[in-house]
Amino acid sequence: MDSVNRFGPELILLAMAAVIILADIGWALAGTGAERMRRPALGALALTGTAASIIWSALLIAFDEQGEAFSGMIRVDDFALFFNFLFAGTAAIVILASIDFLRRNRFVAEYYALILASTAGMMLLASTIDLIAIFVALELTGISLYILVAFMKDGRSSEAGLKYLLLGAISSAVALYGMAYLFGITGSTSLDEIGLVVSEANGETRSALVLAMVFLIAGFGFKMAIVPFQMWVPDVYEGAPTPVTAFLSVGSKAAGFAVVMRIFLTALGDGSISSDWATVFAILAAISMSLGNITALVQGNIKRMLGYSSIAQAGTFLIGLAVVAAADPQLLLGTSAVLFFLGTYAFTNLGAFIAVIAISSKIGSDQIADYAGVAKRSPLLALGLTICLLSLTGIPPTAGFIAKVYVFNAAVQADLVWLAIVGVLNSVVAAYYYLRVVLNMYTAEPASEESIQPGYYLGLAMVVAVVGLLVIGIFPSPLLEASEAAARVFG
Amino acid sequence: MAIELEHYLILGALLFSIGLYMALAKRNFVGVLMGIEMMFNAVNLTFIAFSRFPRFADMTDAERLSGHVFVIFVITVAAAEAAVALALAMLVYRNRETIDVDRMDLLKW
Amino acid sequence: MSYEEVIFYFVAAVTVLGALGVVLTRNVVHSALFLILALLAVAGVFILLSAEFLAIVQILIYGGAVTILILFVMMLTRVRDMPQALDGPQRPFAALAAGAFLVLSVLAALSSDWPGETREITVVPFREMGEALFRDWAVPFEVASLVLLVALIGAIVLARGEEGE
Repeated sequence: MDSVNRFGPELILLAMAAVIILADIGWALAGTGAERMRRPALGALALTGTAASIIWSALLIAFDEQGEAFSGMIRVDDFALFFNFLFAGTAAIVILASIDFLRRNRFVAEYYALILASTAGMMLLASTIDLIAIFVALELTGISLYILVAFMKDGRSSEAGLKYLLLGAISSAVALYGMAYLFGITGSTSLDEIGLVVSEANGETRSALVLAMVFLIAGFGFKMAIVPFQMWVPDVYEGAPTPVTAFLSVGSKAAGFAVVMRIFLTALGDGSISSDWATVFAILAAISMSLGNITALVQGNIKRMLGYSSIAQAGTFLIGLAVVAAADPQLLLGTSAVLFFLGTYAFTNLGAFIAVIAISSKIGSDQIADYAGVAKRSPLLALGLTICLLSLTGIPPTAGFIAKVYVFNAAVQADLVWLAIVGVLNSVVAAYYYLRVVLNMYTAEPASEESIQPGYYLGLAMVVAVVGLLVIGIFPSPLLEASEAAARVFG
Repeated sequence: MAIELEHYLILGALLFSIGLYMALAKRNFVGVLMGIEMMFNAVNLTFIAFSRFPRFADMTDAERLSGHVFVIFVITVAAAEAAVALALAMLVYRNRETIDVDRMDLLKW
Repeated sequence: MSYEEVIFYFVAAVTVLGALGVVLTRNVVHSALFLILALLAVAGVFILLSAEFLAIVQILIYGGAVTILILFVMMLTRVRDMPQALDGPQRPFAALAAGAFLVLSVLAALSSDWPGETREITVVPFREMGEALFRDWAVPFEVASLVLLVALIGAIVLARGEEGE
């Protein structure tokens, strides 16, 4: 039973997805009388699933039920549990934000089921230690997201879905090619075994190993949305339903980083190869930050702007990975910096997208210019969005400030001062376009005086996100300790 | 000269590159999908070649099998992906009467 | 030349020529037919590599299901009326990327020191493969079934209209 217990958080989500689909059939049979309750009830079921999954993960910690499951397929350790909380929490906030959004959609049950399936896939990605399971989990996450992106079924949404699917499939194939070489070099699909063989290799397969590394970075770079594998981001972010965009920008990105950390720190963690990939990550980090921020400057659409800004943020996470290659103490510092940043980024970006959902659905536009004077029409929403944007910029007392200091400090400690400088310069550039939105909301004259009232659920999601990022900003130590514990897995 | 692992690896690399070119260069959705299928096939070929020429002489049958098992999963998942891709293509076509990836100019590259 | 070499070079040539045919033909339907040829040739390579079971699966799924699916979509979307299996404007970029991948992997394949024939090769037994699949890889197997379920749900969601609300 140990195996099943440890697999519990994923199983609960998948079981709840099945329950939601079946309950929907029940509603269809019950006739129109119960129709009014259908949407809220399905949303409540989905939320219950994520809550149960979080509680189960907490119980796993409380009863010290950690270790391997299913004959070395899955390893539930602090790292996996950290991401269990992150993904289940993200899913819960996204579901809250979707309830109002789905008011007129016919396929509510399928929407929630797909979100839950995708979340389970992400959790599995963070906890599995076998290449085969990683690939299957990657596709479970991916295919659910392709469908969710196209969920509105209008021209923009369906085209974004198709584009996302085609580029996603290409990137999977590239990552798979890397995995094939990794398997060929080491004769195993288990990450531990691969790591062992790689550390004992005497250079005869080195070029093949470098090839595998390059292909893996290219394949997973798509998931992490880093330059030069970012070309899908603005289109897909713009075309997807906004709650799905929020889910993509947080969940999918974090899943990409989780699996990259698993593979690179376990299987390719040996000094002979880790200095190579650390250099690659350092360069990609600098390019991602610069290109993401500069392109974000000229965007008129707020979803596209947040898309480019998320590319720049991913570049900042990469600094943490680039730091890892140095000596052992840095290994901890770099990894935990990425984890801490991912935790704060989840709250921040979710908050920003929820504010965009609330405002844009009322003013009927995603253009930044149309956000003029929003502060007069809805002071609380404008305040929430402002706090999130300040956190993305990295201004105290928000969580984003501490995360940035943490990452840049890690870079300086690892003698990557140039990278830290590039990061700081980029933060200045980023401040310009984030604060432009804030200024526009507070100083410009509104087009109409009609007030903007977010729905009850949306407001709740917003409050959770903003309170979360302020709490982390003021009391960062619990999250810091959690990310350090998770990083120690690779220590 | 007998047929060695390198022969198969190069064949896989050729198929993969042709598929990649196809997937990136074609404007037509079906063309892109065909390119992707070729890439997945190249991956499968590489996996099986590596299983046929095991890295270590003392590899057990179970370890050798992992390459074959991997291929089964790749084929399964690729088929599922193709099915979703085609459903999406039908949807786009209904909306737009064209499935040229390029002509999706609503969303710029 | 031994029989093995003759057969290898034959199937390899068919694979590569088929793949080139897919890329170079202007007619999409012809492309799809070339694709079938290339994928069947890959099944031949699988047999050479003593992976008989996978060769059968390859013929059934790629030679059958996937290509039929592709042909169906062509029929339903009338792509075949548009002579546009042509290359798009991103062709130089694609050629660059594909060329770089090819050079990299060929270099890596040649410069690494791979083991030769280490022992007598036996055909992979179906029975052991089944056992491995359900014993060691039970988790990916279950997750793969979920992938299929998700794809099924997705296809329904995407294909059904919004009417009947």
